[in-house]
Amino acid sequence: MTRFAATEKVGGVRSSPAALLEAQDVAIQYGGIRALEPLSISVAEGTLTLILGPNGAGKTSFLKALAGAVLVRSGRVLIGGRDVTVIPAHQRVKLGVSLVPEGRGRLPSLSVDDNLQIGWHAAARDRRGDYNQEVEKIFELFPVLRERLVQDCSTLSGGEMQMLAIARGLLAKPSVLLLDEPSLGLAPLAVTRVYEVLSRLNAEGLAMVLVEQKAVPLPARRETTIVLQNGKVRYREVSRPTPAQLAELYLGEAGKL
Amino acid sequence: MSETTLGRFQAFVLAGIVLICLLAPAFGTRLVIYNLTIIALYATVVISLNLLLGIAGQASFAQTTFMAIGGYGLAIMTKQLGLNPWLSIVLSLGISILVAVVIGMPLLRLRGHYLSMGTIALALGTYSFANASSFTNGGWGISGVPTLSVGTVSFRNPLNFYILAWVICFVSLAAFYLLANSHIGRAWRALSTRADIAATLCIDVQRYKLMVLVIAASMASLSGSFYVAYAHFVGPDLYDISIMINLILMLYVGGVRSVVGPIIGAAFVILVPQMAAGLEHYQNLIFYALLLAVILVKPSGLFGKATEARGIDSMIPLWLMARLRTRSR
Repeated sequence: MTRFAATEKVGGVRSSPAALLEAQDVAIQYGGIRALEPLSISVAEGTLTLILGPNGAGKTSFLKALAGAVLVRSGRVLIGGRDVTVIPAHQRVKLGVSLVPEGRGRLPSLSVDDNLQIGWHAAARDRRGDYNQEVEKIFELFPVLRERLVQDCSTLSGGEMQMLAIARGLLAKPSVLLLDEPSLGLAPLAVTRVYEVLSRLNAEGLAMVLVEQKAVPLPARRETTIVLQNGKVRYREVSRPTPAQLAELYLGEAGKL
Repeated sequence: MSETTLGRFQAFVLAGIVLICLLAPAFGTRLVIYNLTIIALYATVVISLNLLLGIAGQASFAQTTFMAIGGYGLAIMTKQLGLNPWLSIVLSLGISILVAVVIGMPLLRLRGHYLSMGTIALALGTYSFANASSFTNGGWGISGVPTLSVGTVSFRNPLNFYILAWVICFVSLAAFYLLANSHIGRAWRALSTRADIAATLCIDVQRYKLMVLVIAASMASLSGSFYVAYAHFVGPDLYDISIMINLILMLYVGGVRSVVGPIIGAAFVILVPQMAAGLEHYQNLIFYALLLAVILVKPSGLFGKATEARGIDSMIPLWLMARLRTRSR
C-alpha cells in the first residue's frame, strides 16, 4: 500500500469548504517515471479550470487521477471536502465527478440509448431524476442524438460521439465535469458545436476542468489557466496566455515570434 | 438496438425449436429424444458461455471445470456419501459458486490472452486431476449414479428427462435474455471492450466480472450435474479440453451474442458428425468442411450480427475484385 498517497503532507492550497473538487499536491508516477510534479487546484461552482499543454505534459494523467482511474503517487484528492484519494473511480462518480475521457470513450456494441442509460445509472439515486425527462434535456443540447438513438455508437461520427460522451457524463449529474481534449480530431464545425454547449453549461453554473492542447473558444467568467509541460507547471493565471506566450511556453526560445 | 434482441427471424427459429421439442415425443424415435436431451444440456452450457464470453467479453475457458464440479459432485455425494441426488446437485452448485468466487478474484484481474491462458490451465488441471485422483476414481470414472425422481415421477424414463432438460435449457435462455437486456447486461457489454471507461461510468468492473462468472458457473454446474444424472456415469473424458473446444465451436457456429445461436450451434456440432457417421473416416472431413463453409459464408455465425468481419469475399485480392467489377460494368 506504499504507493498510495501520503496524507500527512498538505502543502500549497489550503482546504476550503466551498471547493467542489480539490487536488492537493497531486503527483503521478508510472514505474520510475514522473508524469506529473505536485499540482494543486481548487474547483468552485461555475468556474473553469483550463489545463493546457503539449503531448506528454501530464494533463490526461492528472484528470484521470481526479476521476480515480490512476493512483496518485503523493498528494490528496478531495470531493466536496471529503478525501477520496484511495476511493476507486466507480465510487467517485456518485460523489459528483464525471469524466469525459480522451478519445471520446466509444463503447462498441452499445447503442446511443445504452450509453445514455449507463450515464443515467451512474448518477446518485437522489440526483438522478426521471430518465425520460433527463434525456429530453440532453436532446435539447444535442438534437442529433435523438436521431441516432437506436444506432450502435461505433457508427457515430467523431463529433456525434463526442456529444454522446458529454451527454453520458452530464446524465451522471456531476458537480464537476472533467473533459479530456473534447476537440481532439474533430472537424472545426463540430468543435464549435461542442464548445457552444460547454459554454452554455459553464455559464449555467457547471464547474469544469478542461484539458486541451490549444486555446479553446470557451469564455468563462471565473477561470484558472494552467500550462503544463513535461509534468511541470509553466503558467498559472486567472487569464489565458496570449498565443505568443503559449508558443513560447510550448517551444521555449524557438517559439519566440 | 442491442444485438441480443429477439428479431423476427430469431423469434421464428425459436418458435420452430419449441415446436420440434413439443412434437418430438409424439413422432421421434428413442435416438431423436436422446439427441435432443443432449443438445438441451450442452446448449445450457453454451448459453452460459454466451453470457461470459459473448456479452461480458471474458475469454474464460474454464466452463468444463464447473461442469466437472457439477458432475463429480453429484456422483461422489450420492454414491460415496449416500446423499439425496437433488441435495447433491444443489450442494455441487454451491461448491461451483464458491470455486468461481475464489478463482475469479485473482483470475478476472487478468485480461485478454492472459485470462484465456489462466482458465485453460484450470480446465486442463481439472481433467488431469479427475483422471489421476483416487477421489474421482481416476480414468475409470464413477458409474451407477442413481436416478433422479420426484414423488412417483422417475427420470429414468427418457421422456421425463427430456422434458426436464429442455425446461433447464429454456430457463437458462430466458435468464440469458433478461440479463443481457438489463442494465447489468449493459454494464457487461461496456466493460467487455473498455473496462477503464466503464469504471469511470460508475461500473464496479471487478464486481460485474465476478457476477457473470458466478452466473455462468452455476449454469455449467447444473448442466454438468444433470448430464451425469442422465448418463448415470461420470468420467474425466466428459471434461476433456476438446469438450471446451466443442463448446466454443457451438457458440461461434450459432452466433456470438445471439439468442437462439447456442441451441442451433449445439445441434450442429452434435448432429452433423452423427449424420456423417455412415461415411466412416470421412466423418470428420464432412464436419470440418461444413464448419469451414459456415465460417466462410457467415463469419459471425448462423445467427450472429454481421460486423466488420467479412466472409469469403475478403479472400479475393482487392486488385482482382476491382478488375472483376470493372469487367462486369
